[in-house]
Amino acid sequence: MIALLRSEWLKLRTTAIPWVLAGIALVINGLLILVYFLNPGADRGGPGQANPNVGFGPPNPNVPHTIQQLRNLIGTGIEGYLFALLLGVLIITVEFRHKTVTTSFLVTPRRSTFVIAKLVTAALAGALLAVVMLAATVIGGGIALSAKGGSFTALVHQGPAVAPGMILVFVLFALLGVGVGSLITNQVAALIVCLGWFLILQNIVEGIWNGTAKWLPSGAAAAAANVTAGRDSSFGLLHWWQGSLLILAYGLVFAVVGSVVLARRDIT
Amino acid sequence: MPSAIEIHGLSKHFGPVRAVDDLTFEVPEGRVTGFLGPNGSGKTTTLRMLLGLVRASGGTATFGGKRYVELDHPVRHVGAVLEATSFHPSRRAEDHLKSVAIGAKLPLSRVGETLDLVGLTDVARRRVGKFSLGMRQRLQLATALLGDPEILILDEPANGLDPQGIQWLRTFIRYQASLGHAVLVSSHLLSEMEETVDDVVIVSQGKLVLQTTLADLATRAGTSTGMRIRTPEVPRLTTALDAVPVAWRQVAPDTLVIDGATPEWFGPFAAEHRIVLYELVHERGSLEEVFLALTQGFEAAAPGGLQDGQSAPFHMPGADQ
Repeated sequence: MIALLRSEWLKLRTTAIPWVLAGIALVINGLLILVYFLNPGADRGGPGQANPNVGFGPPNPNVPHTIQQLRNLIGTGIEGYLFALLLGVLIITVEFRHKTVTTSFLVTPRRSTFVIAKLVTAALAGALLAVVMLAATVIGGGIALSAKGGSFTALVHQGPAVAPGMILVFVLFALLGVGVGSLITNQVAALIVCLGWFLILQNIVEGIWNGTAKWLPSGAAAAAANVTAGRDSSFGLLHWWQGSLLILAYGLVFAVVGSVVLARRDIT
Repeated sequence: MPSAIEIHGLSKHFGPVRAVDDLTFEVPEGRVTGFLGPNGSGKTTTLRMLLGLVRASGGTATFGGKRYVELDHPVRHVGAVLEATSFHPSRRAEDHLKSVAIGAKLPLSRVGETLDLVGLTDVARRRVGKFSLGMRQRLQLATALLGDPEILILDEPANGLDPQGIQWLRTFIRYQASLGHAVLVSSHLLSEMEETVDDVVIVSQGKLVLQTTLADLATRAGTSTGMRIRTPEVPRLTTALDAVPVAWRQVAPDTLVIDGATPEWFGPFAAEHRIVLYELVHERGSLEEVFLALTQGFEAAAPGGLQDGQSAPFHMPGADQ
């Protein structure tokens, strides 16, 4: 399995997919930070506002300084879990698009092993994407914060509070992506299904059936990350571990069904 | 001779279509077996079932009794070249081979060795998307050779190769057989393979038509003879021929074909009648003609395959020209 994972990692980094996805994610992340600082006061601190006195920075209302504001700043890239999802989808569907799956199955005739290797690879790639985005946010956001008279150190101090949740969500969504891709091996179809769900269908489902939001992937993601900003708290969220297990369950259901279907599929 | 590959009663149905129908044959070690049939005769499906890529509807396809999926280190035992398009276009040739070598637990030194073997060392760092079809075929071959397998399976490997490439491929395949390796190579053109293979397995419409040696096939081809004669004295020759029990046809103003005639008979005959000859050609059916007749004749008739030694249900080419 170790050999297979090293092989998968080499395959991943020798294509444009991870670099392009990470590049787009970082650019969007950078723009979000820019907007954040050009629009002072936009973040009123979220839930942390009730206890604003624990801030480290100077008492400038236009500069984020409360714990919650700083945590929200670091978590700017949290919605980037969609990129982790796409990364997972692409890691497996690229094999079918370019027919490299023929060679992969000659090397690894047991197809469930192939799917497991893809899951692990995607999880690692998802974690790495989260770490890179966190680092970029802390560095970029920290510099902007310092320029505005805020405290870089205060921001860095909040890193450990945000990082685990974000890494967890990215890993879970990368797994979900591989699961979806193992079932829908057509790359374009898989991407349309994923984007269609997260950009359109999910909102419709939430709108029709009240109270379903917390059971859907993005609600579960918010729970897992424990970041509620941007989401009406009246929806209520699961515990972070419940949300995590829910995303994991979604991913594994797809991956197991995908593996079973894949095992029977003719590679022609 | 021990067999490297055993195909027994193998079938594949796509709905009502029987792409492969109760196919049985063996591939011996140390020999090159040509797997021949027209396009769409089930060759690729058979090879893919053998490699565990396509599920068989019935029967077995094994390597020394083990299915591909049951082999401990499949890449070390079996090397396969299937379609030449299975590469990620932006991956470099070397990285493609490395990914396979690492996944199959092979030493990375094999990457350079196989690139060298197929003559791609100079373009190792180039992206495969920039490769010509012939270069992709070579890269596919390099991939198959990474594990130094004792069984090679090549599906239409000559496709996309230029004449030098085909010549190189022939030498390469013969070399593999000389090492004692078993080679199963498919083609829709017998002429492409007749200098390469020892044995032939001929299929048509998913069924076995004939498994025999190339030598036997050549004998069948050689039996269909006739003489083609160009002469300025057609009227005198036809008069002379009418006096003996042979069938002849005039195919051009100055050319006759005499069915079943041999040079040993016609030479003295022409001398005896003092007929001037411009050209004297001993016509034999080519292997390709026999192959075509076998596969086409099969389509018209004969359920069930023929085994070595049985006569084939076809008309000898040339017999009714």
